[in-house]
Amino acid sequence: MSSETATMTVANAPSHRASRLDRFLMQGGIVITFLVVAVVATALIEPRFLNRLNLLNVMRNFALLLIPSLAQMLVMTAGGFDLSVGAVVAATSVVTAAVMLVGSGYFPGMELVVILASLVIALGAGALVGLVNAGLVATFSLSPFMVTLAMMSVLMGIALYFTQGIPIYGVADSFIANVGRGQFLSLPIVLWVGLAVLAACIVMQRFTALGRHIYAVGSDQRSARLSGVSTGRTLMVAYMLAGLLAALTGFLMTSRLGSGQSTIGGTLALETIAAAVIGGVSLRGGVGRAELVALAALFLSVIANAMNLVQVDSKYQTLVLGAVLIIALAIERLLLRKRQS
Amino acid sequence: MSMEAKTQPMAQSSGLSLKELLRAARLPIAIVVVLILFGLVEPRVLSLGNFRNIALQASYLAIFAMAQTMVLLTRGFDLSLGYTVSLVSVAASMAMVAMGGGDASILYGVGAAVLIAGAIGLANGVLIAGIGINPLVTTLGMANMVLAFASTISGGFPVTGLPKGLTAEFAQGSPLSIPMPIWIAALAFLLLFLTLKATRFGRSLYIIGANPRAAVAAGIRTVPVLVLAYVLCALLAALGALLLTARTGSGEPNLGGNLTLEAIAAAVVGGVRLSGGEGGVGAAVLGALFVTVLSNGMNLVQIDGYLQQICLGVIIIVSLIVNRDEARR
Repeated sequence: MSSETATMTVANAPSHRASRLDRFLMQGGIVITFLVVAVVATALIEPRFLNRLNLLNVMRNFALLLIPSLAQMLVMTAGGFDLSVGAVVAATSVVTAAVMLVGSGYFPGMELVVILASLVIALGAGALVGLVNAGLVATFSLSPFMVTLAMMSVLMGIALYFTQGIPIYGVADSFIANVGRGQFLSLPIVLWVGLAVLAACIVMQRFTALGRHIYAVGSDQRSARLSGVSTGRTLMVAYMLAGLLAALTGFLMTSRLGSGQSTIGGTLALETIAAAVIGGVSLRGGVGRAELVALAALFLSVIANAMNLVQVDSKYQTLVLGAVLIIALAIERLLLRKRQS
Repeated sequence: MSMEAKTQPMAQSSGLSLKELLRAARLPIAIVVVLILFGLVEPRVLSLGNFRNIALQASYLAIFAMAQTMVLLTRGFDLSLGYTVSLVSVAASMAMVAMGGGDASILYGVGAAVLIAGAIGLANGVLIAGIGINPLVTTLGMANMVLAFASTISGGFPVTGLPKGLTAEFAQGSPLSIPMPIWIAALAFLLLFLTLKATRFGRSLYIIGANPRAAVAAGIRTVPVLVLAYVLCALLAALGALLLTARTGSGEPNLGGNLTLEAIAAAVVGGVRLSGGEGGVGAAVLGALFVTVLSNGMNLVQIDGYLQQICLGVIIIVSLIVNRDEARR
């Protein structure tokens, strides 16, 4: 009632109020609120959350969700979609372990060389998958959803066919000790890698032509092309970077698990899409910022950890993930609608 | 034969060339070619018993593909279809067991299936059409919520002790020596075909898919139409779930795992367009038949299950490329 009278008397008020709401939405008000609430609630309910070892654990899981979520963000801001992200992680985990197993036979005692070789080959495989995805999406203008869904089926099939679902052991010990469990300045190496990728994404989005091109292609392909942006090449780069980041995730996960596993990454497509969407990435493309996606990934890692701490059945964790995804979007839609009216 | 009869007059009236005729009939032709190729390697593929088997298998997938088609037509999606099947299978089985497990309890199972699927479809529809959330993300989130229930309500175990009549009638029964699931799929096809062609609701689905804004301008109340589409999709998924439950003879929490992908694949291979407004239940049925013929053949020539998964992915991409060419004409 009072707000109604205010709008009637002061003509400026509605636009002023709307702009504040705009700013709240634009600057990640939803995801920041979610994150703060989740952290405070978890710390109150379960003080073990603040335990140093637990926080280190949260950070590792956060980093391993952050990197593929940034991959998802890159593709989504370019107007695409990548359901194959989890399958790439599984396939490159297998590749990493297989290369190490074979390589350590040929080059005994040269663990660093073998580890680097496995990284390069895994990244190459990831980039190749991205290239094929982008090639199909851009050349034939096919639906990215269907292309990456089919790619997921193909990659899972390949990974499972070659391993028959059995983990590949024989991963170099120094790899597990220094990468998966390693720390630098008392923070996990995995976290440092994640933060480096995040920083690179932020710089790319804000200060490079590539970043601007990805936004342009994502918001309107035709006007991007008319203003001189090579849409095909931009899509190619976005999908390849996404493939690279997914492969990096596969490499890092292998170092954490100590084996190459074809069965990991099953829920990663959902989780990365959830992180991207909660972080404000538009499903229609053209909108999305790396730092907000990072906050969303942190939020998801915190609630996953909280549920583990209070011993919620892992089966109900998918329930919470699904509900959070829908609620976050519903809030955003309702706020947007309020703004429009 | 009937295929020919249907396409011939069309060909004359619009002056289609032979090439275009072949194009229009490419999926039936592809089905025959695949059958013959597998038949060369493994003669059992071309036996009458196997044809019956293929038709039976395809009838389940066709129901799910038709369900998916209802929402694909509106530019929508239902990624929760597979887990809806799982949940309905478990919940309906639990209802039947709780009501004594006699043949009369089948009705309670059907009732539970309708209630649960209706609720899921309604929730999807309201979130998508009412609030305006992207269908992909809505149904992805819904899929995970449904999965949580499906894998926990029975403790994660199969539900046994189902009424004898369920399997005897709805899986093994074959009136006029045609298996019951084929009858039911055919009936569903007929009803949906008529709904899409001859009702206001059916035509509204096409208009909304082809151009949502024009649909609003044309005075179509898009929200109830879309909600009904998602409810219909979920109810068809429940129908398929009951038939699959009758076949396995128990309520299975893992029943629907791959069905979402397979249903979308079948519809898309059949020519239902993801951009909405094109295709129909006929396309879904043909697509389901093609996918079934392919997997049946690969099973009979003993191709590794994981390689089959690779083939499915490749087939989806190839059919997307082939169907795309037609759009350009």
